[in-house]
Amino acid sequence: MADVAISGPGRRVFFRQGTMLKAVVLAILVALIVLPLMRTVLFTLHPDTIRAWSDVLVGRLSTNLFYKPLGNTLLIGAVVATGCVLLGGFLAWLVVMTNVPFRKTIGVMAALPFMIPSFAAALAWGTLFRNDRIGGQVGWLQGLGLEIPDWLAWGMVPTLIVLVLHYFSLAFTIIAAALATVNSDLVEAAQIAGAKGRRILLGIILPVTTPALVAAGSLCFAGAVSNFATPALLGLPVRMQTLSTRLFGMIEVGQVGRGYVIGILLVLVSGIFLWAGNRVVSGRRSYTTITGKGGRAKRFDLRGARWPLYAIAMAVLVSSTVVPVIVLTASSLAPSSANLFSGWTLHYWVGQSDPSFAQGIPGIAHNDDIVRALTITLGLGMAVAFTGMFVGLLASYTTARYRAGWMSAAITQISFLPLLVPGIAFGAAYIAYLGAPIGPFPALYGTFALLVIAATGYLLPFSVQTGRAVIQQVGGELEESARITGAGFFRRLVQITVPLAVRGLAAGGILIFVKIIRDLSLVVLLFTPTMPVLSVVAYRYASEGFGQFANAITVIIMFISIAATLIANRLQSKSQPWLQN
Amino acid sequence: MLEIRNLTKRFGDFEAVKDVSISVPDGAFLVLLGPSGCGKTTLLRMLAGLELPTAGQIVFDGQTVSDGDRGWTVDPAKRNSGLVFQSYALWPHMSVRGNVEWPLKVMNMPRAQRAERVAEVLTLLDIAALADRYPNEISGGQQQRVAIARTIAPKPGVLLFDEPLSNLDAKLRVEMRTELMRLHRATGATTVYVTHDQIEAMTMASHVAVMNQGRVQQFGTPADLVDHPETAFVATFVGTPANNMVPVVKNGSGYRVGGRHMPLTPPADECLAMYRAEKMTLSDNEGERTLPMELVETSAIAGRVMITGLSEGLRLTAIMDTLPNAQIGDTVQFCLPAEPDGWFDPDGERIG
Amino acid sequence: MKVLTATRLGAIGILMSSAVFAQDDLNALTPEDLLPLAQAEGTVTVYSFTSRIGKVEAAFEAAYPDIDLQGFDISSTEQIARLKAEAQAGVTNADVVYISDTPVVLTELLETGIIAPYVPPRVADRVPAEYQSPLLAQRLSTKVLMYNEEANPDGAPVSNLWELTTDEWRGRVVMVDPLQRGDYLDLMTEIVLRSDEMAGAYNAQFGATIDLGGAANAGEKFIMDLFANDVILVGSTDDVNAAVGVLGQENPPVGFTSYSDRRDNEDEGWALQVANGVAPAPGIIFPAVLALSAEPNNPAAARLVIDFLMGDETETGGPGLAPFYVAGDYVTRSDIPPHPDAVALDDFTAWRIAPAQTATIRAEVGDLILTLQ
Repeated sequence: MADVAISGPGRRVFFRQGTMLKAVVLAILVALIVLPLMRTVLFTLHPDTIRAWSDVLVGRLSTNLFYKPLGNTLLIGAVVATGCVLLGGFLAWLVVMTNVPFRKTIGVMAALPFMIPSFAAALAWGTLFRNDRIGGQVGWLQGLGLEIPDWLAWGMVPTLIVLVLHYFSLAFTIIAAALATVNSDLVEAAQIAGAKGRRILLGIILPVTTPALVAAGSLCFAGAVSNFATPALLGLPVRMQTLSTRLFGMIEVGQVGRGYVIGILLVLVSGIFLWAGNRVVSGRRSYTTITGKGGRAKRFDLRGARWPLYAIAMAVLVSSTVVPVIVLTASSLAPSSANLFSGWTLHYWVGQSDPSFAQGIPGIAHNDDIVRALTITLGLGMAVAFTGMFVGLLASYTTARYRAGWMSAAITQISFLPLLVPGIAFGAAYIAYLGAPIGPFPALYGTFALLVIAATGYLLPFSVQTGRAVIQQVGGELEESARITGAGFFRRLVQITVPLAVRGLAAGGILIFVKIIRDLSLVVLLFTPTMPVLSVVAYRYASEGFGQFANAITVIIMFISIAATLIANRLQSKSQPWLQN
Repeated sequence: MLEIRNLTKRFGDFEAVKDVSISVPDGAFLVLLGPSGCGKTTLLRMLAGLELPTAGQIVFDGQTVSDGDRGWTVDPAKRNSGLVFQSYALWPHMSVRGNVEWPLKVMNMPRAQRAERVAEVLTLLDIAALADRYPNEISGGQQQRVAIARTIAPKPGVLLFDEPLSNLDAKLRVEMRTELMRLHRATGATTVYVTHDQIEAMTMASHVAVMNQGRVQQFGTPADLVDHPETAFVATFVGTPANNMVPVVKNGSGYRVGGRHMPLTPPADECLAMYRAEKMTLSDNEGERTLPMELVETSAIAGRVMITGLSEGLRLTAIMDTLPNAQIGDTVQFCLPAEPDGWFDPDGERIG
Repeated sequence: MKVLTATRLGAIGILMSSAVFAQDDLNALTPEDLLPLAQAEGTVTVYSFTSRIGKVEAAFEAAYPDIDLQGFDISSTEQIARLKAEAQAGVTNADVVYISDTPVVLTELLETGIIAPYVPPRVADRVPAEYQSPLLAQRLSTKVLMYNEEANPDGAPVSNLWELTTDEWRGRVVMVDPLQRGDYLDLMTEIVLRSDEMAGAYNAQFGATIDLGGAANAGEKFIMDLFANDVILVGSTDDVNAAVGVLGQENPPVGFTSYSDRRDNEDEGWALQVANGVAPAPGIIFPAVLALSAEPNNPAAARLVIDFLMGDETETGGPGLAPFYVAGDYVTRSDIPPHPDAVALDDFTAWRIAPAQTATIRAEVGDLILTLQ
């Protein structure tokens, strides 16, 4: 027994450990992310299209083609980021640090708007505030006899309001998480030093959470500047263009070169601000490491302001969650959005084609296009959840296990690159990338595979983030100890990694699923009539004046998103004896 | 025989293990001892096959299992070794039995034989009663036993431990120490054990390699280390209490020892003199070989008293039969014996 | 016996799958000959620039129950972009292309070989030659100035296009964004091409010679003034129709839309009417063409669809033509009588576009409009 017998032959390690794996992962990421972006840039540098650069940047068209949309885009980014940090920060402060009534309810509701597609809120806004400026049906408020001014019905103001009501949820999540880590000892030490609530807020809590505020602000900024649905639905009718709607318009009318140039510039704008935000945060010392255990600090007593603040919070939350759901549901039943709550009919849901009704478009249950779009959308969601988690796990596993070397650094950097790339620009890049055959590979234009591949690349930052959390859960030594027993890669994966990670994997997969089925900006350009997805079908109905169908489809998307999230929670809480105690 | 030849491991520019050569016979209990960051865990991971050496070889029983020069390695699972992790790394979704049984399943051991072996090791480690519990349902000491049971179940020829006791409280640690030694005798497996606790090393090891900054400072039996420390680092790292090290500097015609002139004949103009604690005494008056120091600590040990004094960064410890007649903070006179127990040059090498 | 014959015919149908035929052979087949081949194909995909494809789909499937027609309502502009992208990708989605925007279609789809012409032999002798080549025109469609006849019982409130640039019509002229819909860009282009007539109309309206300012010609000047007068751009013609036509409006706007949308007045509660008397012209009249994709997946069924869309042998063309036999659409078949409720084609004052000429300056006009937005 004491003698040492080698039970198997050795093998030559030609490269440093992990080199092969790193190379494979890097190749996947390059193919998914770097090549499409490079391809786009190269396309615009082609002699036939290089003129697009001067058209966009210096020609007589440049004002309308680029600078005005840029101005609108930056305005939207700045106002939405500020609004979201204020609103999200206010709610986070209420929930985490004060004794406001029904804190948990506020916390749950504040996380909801981000689950609802952003075009849902825009459609709901239109249903309520639409005036007769551009003809067609007027909204409910106008129907009640209120005179809705143009600035409230269309353009910048509603775009800003709708985007803030969508993205504040993101800011809330980030800031609340940061506030929750503010060690109660810090607050108590300040209290002992004699500081009062306001002083503690400004002197202790605010500085400590600054990195989170900056992070929240820059993410909201990036989200707002790349948002397509809201400015398209609320701004285009009054010719308010942002870079993303311009990009869409140019590609749709076949001015591809100009479209790509605008897309590249949009990536740069979004990238510069995220990078700057990151610089601000990383330039400071990290405070989060100075936390100990410590219990929850005593909450700020709001005294008389408890209920008024509660009312303000609920007003914001109800208008960003409950109101859109009610309005869209009602609108999908009401023939006229001016009379939202009367004359309800199920025609838009289950009606047969009737020439006198909505130009003979049948209800969505009998509409082959929509049924097919639903099937494709669900299939897409599931496929991307799978491929996304697979690539995400692989990338995060590789970087966690083999930290050293330029390849690991490159993997980390590239996997977060899509964060800087607005969905619509990413979609445009994929048309440039896979729209034509590459060598022996056929073009993927109009195929399901294109949607899956593009969505996998686009959502990689999220899947890698989730994968990282999962890997941390499983821990290096747990996996190593299995490796020492001689279990092969797949056996380890199936018997050790997956069982331990199943919660994280399910949650991550469903997060990706929800993100993709409610996404519009990525798929709006990849859409082809023979490969439709729900969000684009809804957008097209909305822009052609068939609000009821658009709203009915949006209600379906919301329903699926919320149901999927609930199923994820169910899955997670499923009995796992080793997690009890 | 376990042989390590000129083993080196670099991470980028950082050299974690530098040119280490050690060999121990079959059945040895080798302890790698050193402060945190000295490279001992990296060395262990190379033995386990989890890291590939940058240079040098590891040879188990005449067969090379890792060769950094040729970039050649035997898979961790195929080197007939087992590793107990510092964190135990028990798979939380498997019961105690499941944890012990799984490596045997991977080996394709037949079911009946497997059940027998699991029962055997659970009994050996006295945890048969916990077989159906999950890791989060048992105590830290019990988790430790499960981790060991899991590692020895496949009967590895080389057992590797990475600071296995560091997460246990003091009393459990002493118990587990005994348990591990019993286990070592029972299995006869060559054992490599990493720790920063010199008491563990002194009590368990047949061979000790003291490491610092990636190098082996001294390799030998525990008794060797205590009796003949080869470097000042070893002299001050092993032994309870550790040896005293007093700087000696030539000053004019005489020598200044810890701040005072003393009649000494050191082998060099500048060097360190080692005094064992048990040879130090306290004296009531100043003498030829006394050093005035502030009394900072006293503690009772096995019927005797350990007394520590501090003066200008120099720390001296003496073992006496009785407490001195002084309070903490008072100045007392530490009396050095006539001849030091060893001489070291300023770089720590022994010179006499 | 009967069963046997049916089975045999079925077998022949499968054997004679359309792949056996060269495209030219298929072009010569009658609908009766095409049918078994089309039935074997079983499905056919149509890109259509009009939402009326929904009605066509129902009628076609009623006439040929074994063939599934998949109709997609995609604007001409978008069809062009998609067909080009699909061709680049080597993908063929559409079998039949039903499209307007002929200036672009001819240069970018026909000349590049993305689509191919087809004239069903059954009707070839009843369609004037000018509508058979280079592509088969099924009908002539329009983008003309329409007004609300309920609010203006005495006729059009406008008699000269230049009135639309005056304060009275500020923010009250509606059309679809010409950058999104090629028909409207063609309309704008035609206005520029007819600069001389526009200059004359200016003189008639304001009694003065036009001062071009920064514009290159009277047409451009009109477009610039129209945009400066807060023209409302919407997303689709239905939005124009609703804005202009909805009953019960006191001071409705006017707008450029399809004359034929007047057919929906009753169903939708509109009061659309064409301003045919407006000087120099109310708008444009242009062909809506039918074509095959270059390599259709379902070549026989595709031809059958085009044959169907050209109308049957009944007086007004039957179900295939019914959606288009409406006031304001001018069917090209010479044996179909003009719709009784519409202004006769000869009396219609709208400009006929000349696709080749339009194509020369279309992009320039597009860029001009871009600078105005």
